[in-house]
Amino acid sequence: MTMLSSVAERLYWMGRYLERAEDSARLVAAYNHLIMDIPRAAELGWDVLIRILDAEPLFYQQYRVGNEQNVLRFLLAEQDSSASIPFAVRWARENVRTTRDVLPEETWEQLNELHLYVSDAAEKSVGRRNRQAFLEEVISRCQRVNGMLSSSLPRDHAHRFLRLGHLLERSDMTTRLMDVGTGEILQRDGTHEAIDPLIWTSLLQALSSFGAYRRMIGPLVEAQQVLEFVFQEPLLPRSVAFCLAEIRAELKPLNNHEKAMRTLARGRRKLGKLQPEHMSREALHAYIDEFQALLADLHDAITASWFQPDTP
Amino acid sequence: MNESWKSYPAGSFFDELITPKGQPRAAARGVVRLLQKLPGDEMAERRAAAELAIREMGISFTVYNEAGNIDRAWPFDIIPRVISARQWQAVSDGLRQRSLALNHFIDDIYNRQKILADGVVPADIVLESTNFKPQCMGMSPRFGVWAHVCGSDLVRDGDGRFRVLEDNLRVPSGVSYMLENREITKRVLPELFENYSILPVDDSPSQLYQTLASLSPRERRRPCIVVLTPGIFNSAYFEHAYLAQGMGAELVEGRDLMVADDNCVYMRTVDGPVRVDVIYRRIDEEFMDPEAFRPESLLGVAGLMRAWKAGNVAIANAPGSGVADDKVIYAFVPDMIRYYLKQKPLLASVPTWLCMREKDREHVLKNLDQLVVKPANESGGYGIMVGPHSTAAVRRKFARLIEENPRNYVAQPTLALSTAPTYIDDKVEPRHLDLRPFILQGRDTWVTPGGLTRVALTKGSLVVNSSQGGGSKDTWIVEGKA
Repeated sequence: MTMLSSVAERLYWMGRYLERAEDSARLVAAYNHLIMDIPRAAELGWDVLIRILDAEPLFYQQYRVGNEQNVLRFLLAEQDSSASIPFAVRWARENVRTTRDVLPEETWEQLNELHLYVSDAAEKSVGRRNRQAFLEEVISRCQRVNGMLSSSLPRDHAHRFLRLGHLLERSDMTTRLMDVGTGEILQRDGTHEAIDPLIWTSLLQALSSFGAYRRMIGPLVEAQQVLEFVFQEPLLPRSVAFCLAEIRAELKPLNNHEKAMRTLARGRRKLGKLQPEHMSREALHAYIDEFQALLADLHDAITASWFQPDTP
Repeated sequence: MNESWKSYPAGSFFDELITPKGQPRAAARGVVRLLQKLPGDEMAERRAAAELAIREMGISFTVYNEAGNIDRAWPFDIIPRVISARQWQAVSDGLRQRSLALNHFIDDIYNRQKILADGVVPADIVLESTNFKPQCMGMSPRFGVWAHVCGSDLVRDGDGRFRVLEDNLRVPSGVSYMLENREITKRVLPELFENYSILPVDDSPSQLYQTLASLSPRERRRPCIVVLTPGIFNSAYFEHAYLAQGMGAELVEGRDLMVADDNCVYMRTVDGPVRVDVIYRRIDEEFMDPEAFRPESLLGVAGLMRAWKAGNVAIANAPGSGVADDKVIYAFVPDMIRYYLKQKPLLASVPTWLCMREKDREHVLKNLDQLVVKPANESGGYGIMVGPHSTAAVRRKFARLIEENPRNYVAQPTLALSTAPTYIDDKVEPRHLDLRPFILQGRDTWVTPGGLTRVALTKGSLVVNSSQGGGSKDTWIVEGKA
């Protein structure tokens, strides 16, 4: 049973947007924790979040100052900004609306509920009091959808394209998250030895991987080891290596996969070249940028191969 | 008797369920007795259950207004309309005959034009009609059938006689709502089904599949069939998705299809191009192919007409079918039946004055306050004037429109449309209704048992279109006595 390219594309985007909503919530939640732990002198700004999401032009069209209130409004409550959680949820839902017939019946219902929840609660969640509860609820509702899909969606094209979107988005967001830790993006002078472990711990927590890190690596949280763990650990479902391996497994059975497979192979080679102990902060930041460009190439390859096929 | 049924006014119009003496008609006896015996609030409870079912099943249609598109829940009345199988058989035979004659006519018009040469239908009204598509000349689709899905609107007049009001041959909609109406009734009034033998309707998607499959240009066990929709903003998108799913066909938009150099139609899939055999199109032919019709259309597929003319794909309904879906041509259908089939028309139609004829026009202009005036090729109940319900200003406007463009207007007597008991607020009251059965024609011909009953929910109104405040009822064809 084949699948229309347009349907596959919508499923792919549904996977991306749903994961983006969840990961954005994780990112904000982690940063929210972090900032409360950090001494004032470290001067971490909220605008870091805007930089991580590559949303600076969009943000500064609407706001003058990157302070807490503005950044949180932009990410949590703005319905029309493409970097916000409500935006991601709305587009996940729109993509389900037209693919309902290939997804389990509850999908539409759950996406609808998620959408209603976010529309209702987002405005109230900009302030500190309700923020954390809102982010946790978004994360858990996204996970509910993913859990339902993974337990009832047949492993056919529908599952495959949904999963490709999901994995690619997750790799992208994970690398963005790691960029916070490299410090370059924080625009700090020199290093703050004292707060580094705090930052890396909160990043691991954002990935729900702090426990796994302690079990598999040890109790000391150090930059190099966290980077290796999050990029290269094949057993960790949120690691980049794990996502790329899964992407490979999904691409393999598809027709016309040569181009995407080649791009993916480049990504996997690049992943092997990460050696944090020999890399400066600048080099690490540049590496992450290059890696994100590679993921963008992979997205383009997928789009060209299956969503916009040529005339015979 | 349940409170809501008391004081039902019988006898002012032909009523589908109740005789002028206030007794249930034979075929409807079981339904009426049971509903009348429901205790206290149960009518309201059943209605609430139906509304809930409609929301849960997600049955909706889209309405356009200035504020954008709104998805509305399907308006449904819980009291079914009942027709005896014996009576239906006669109607069904008449519809079959009509569909055959209409298809003969379309095939003739795009080929030899015998009926015009013989002067049975005036050539100018056909050839000058906007629904006549010169692009289709010389085509002869499989089995000589052009209109594969026909939705004819039937009404019953004061004597209870079924008459054809119009034939919809372009992209008639409603079949999915007919199926859903039955589903709802089964859920909310299951006890009605115990003592009745009601002809099932759920066979319709597979009948549609078989009709479409019989058109396939390639002999294949499972031809590739697609439903072509203008997209999610179309008022009937729900139905397009429903039918695609019911037939196991792909629901496609124009951009999912392409015509290659070999003049075959392909759909774009993740496994590469897949050849399409049959297109059930739910988009107007004007928008179907920018190469052949409106060049600015973004909904269509460039080259579709080429592929169709090369015989590489079947399109249902065939482009050009609309030539017989015109309220002027309508007046000639009885003549077509006699001309092509050498038979007497089995179904009555409605007397029609053609404003293009001078004598008819005089009569129409003189009697505007008693007639229903219709534009020749609009659908959805738009642009109609109901004389007895009109104001002097509207009548003046229509008089002007008719004088300006007489070819575009016809008039018919205002029919005393039949009524049926309809549950409004907390009372059962008579409301006017019509009936849209569907006739499928491919290798074989098939008529839906019953059809979609549409009911004007406003008291005294004759407008049944769902886009203009109409509702619907489940329609039963029942065998034997209840």
